[in-house]
Amino acid sequence: MALLALDTSTDWASVALYDGRAVLAEETWRAQRRHGDELFPAIERLLSSARVGLAAVDRVAVATGPGSFTGLRVAIAAAQGIARGAGASLVGVSTLDVLAYPHAPSKQRTCPLLPAGRTDWYAAFYQERNRRWLRRSPYVVATLPELCRQIGTHTLFVGELDEEAEATLRDLLGPKALFAPPASRMRRAGFLAELGWRALEAEPQTRLDEVEPIYVKQPRIGRSFDQPFAPPPADDVALGLPRRS
Amino acid sequence: MRILGIETSCDETAAAVVDDGRRIVSNVVASQLAHQDTGGIVPEVAAREHLRALDAITQQALRDAATDLRGVDAIAATVGPGLVGCLLVGANYARGLALASGLPFVGVNHLEGHVYANWLYEGDLAPREPEIPAVVLIVSGAHSDLVLMEGHRRFRLLGRTVDDAAGEAFDKVARLLGLGFPGGPYVERAAREGDPDAYPLPRATVADRYDFSFSGLKTAVLRLVRSLEEKGRVPVADVAASFQKAITEMLAEKTARAAAEHAVDTVLLGGGVAANGPLREEIARRIGHPLRVPPPRLCTDNGAMIGAAAFFVLRHRGTEIPTAVRGDLRLA
Ligand SMILES: [Zn+2]
Repeated sequence: MALLALDTSTDWASVALYDGRAVLAEETWRAQRRHGDELFPAIERLLSSARVGLAAVDRVAVATGPGSFTGLRVAIAAAQGIARGAGASLVGVSTLDVLAYPHAPSKQRTCPLLPAGRTDWYAAFYQERNRRWLRRSPYVVATLPELCRQIGTHTLFVGELDEEAEATLRDLLGPKALFAPPASRMRRAGFLAELGWRALEAEPQTRLDEVEPIYVKQPRIGRSFDQPFAPPPADDVALGLPRRS
Repeated sequence: MRILGIETSCDETAAAVVDDGRRIVSNVVASQLAHQDTGGIVPEVAAREHLRALDAITQQALRDAATDLRGVDAIAATVGPGLVGCLLVGANYARGLALASGLPFVGVNHLEGHVYANWLYEGDLAPREPEIPAVVLIVSGAHSDLVLMEGHRRFRLLGRTVDDAAGEAFDKVARLLGLGFPGGPYVERAAREGDPDAYPLPRATVADRYDFSFSGLKTAVLRLVRSLEEKGRVPVADVAASFQKAITEMLAEKTARAAAEHAVDTVLLGGGVAANGPLREEIARRIGHPLRVPPPRLCTDNGAMIGAAAFFVLRHRGTEIPTAVRGDLRLA
């Protein structure tokens, strides 16, 4: 039994193989616009380095964004094909959820950022509450000043922020802006695999065509988002760390 | 050899099962309706629709063929030319299917698909294969290519459009006349009631003898319609018929001339515009014998033509089989 995780949400791409306990192999690379050509060779390298045949893959997890629309569809289409061909179950996990997840132990409010074109960024806010790590906002697209207007307390920024974005956030938020070290801000499919595995344990199979990109473009952040963390998603939608029952 | 063919280069989501490059076992085509309101294809909308529909369409094609992936020998998908975002959906889905089921993946040139649509048949009786060499005219909303087919998978480009594709000209004229999208079938229907000699329209002359240009004709129709509007009523049927006659003659004249110059008997057609009745008649009249043309639903984009072309790719592979998506892929 193994789970194959695929993520081509942005210029960065990542694939991983996971067996429910450990990441067996992982590859993260800068694909830019070449996801379509590079994804399958990467999957084949992954399987051979982990010495796992596709016959062992019975679960597939794919990052569903928000991110580059075309990029997202590359991995989702591939994941649908692999799941269909292998008879595996498929789950979609938000790219922002994947970015925030490794920072749960920090207990900081965490805000992953991904470029959304021009001066826009995709973002969401995550925070532990009642010992559960939850997404506390909708997925939004906003400029950094619009986003910072919603931020009152210390916030840990992760994701694909360049130096300029980091400087802007420091200007806007001063000491409230915290930054994870660059390498730990990145997205790795190993985390996607963990989240995907858990989601499939909780709810085994969805229809393949229900796994769709999260196309966040409108509405922009603003009047509809005038309280810092309202409206939070319902708990069953929000991302949870293992549901300790 | 049984091949599953997948096509998502433009606005049809399609999958089919084809035996030995010729016999259609199943053929499922879903035309996206989302573009009718915009009167043209919005690439992002098309790509979204493909992703939503493709898995179900593919399952339907396998079910219609009373088979599953174990009963298939190879999986093919269009890798170009076309809208890159759309091609990526079909190609990656098909590669995923192929990888997971241990089958070879064959990337197919969409234009070769239109050529090999001429090899397809349904039912038990196989008609004779088209004879090669042949002159091939591929005309659709995306391409207008005149090609000499010297042998299987050996193509020489004779000419292509220097501006709009033939199908685009139909679309634009249809929009001008307040007809529907895609324009081809609407213009053809409207033209039936009209007089093709009602308005003289220019036939473009292009420096390169086999190249096409349709923008002059399009502008002439625009000017004609504006001047008719000033006078009052636009006789839609007459304008449609006059336009159709002009574009049909431009296409048929060069196609027939290419066949004569290369001493070729066979003329093959492909692409949505090839479904146009008067175009077929005009070409047949000029080459002096009847054409064998695929039925309209095999002229427009479909998965069967991709399954057919993939068979000939595997049989006549000269080079490595392409897997990478290329929006601007050419036939020759
Ligand atoms: Zn076509």
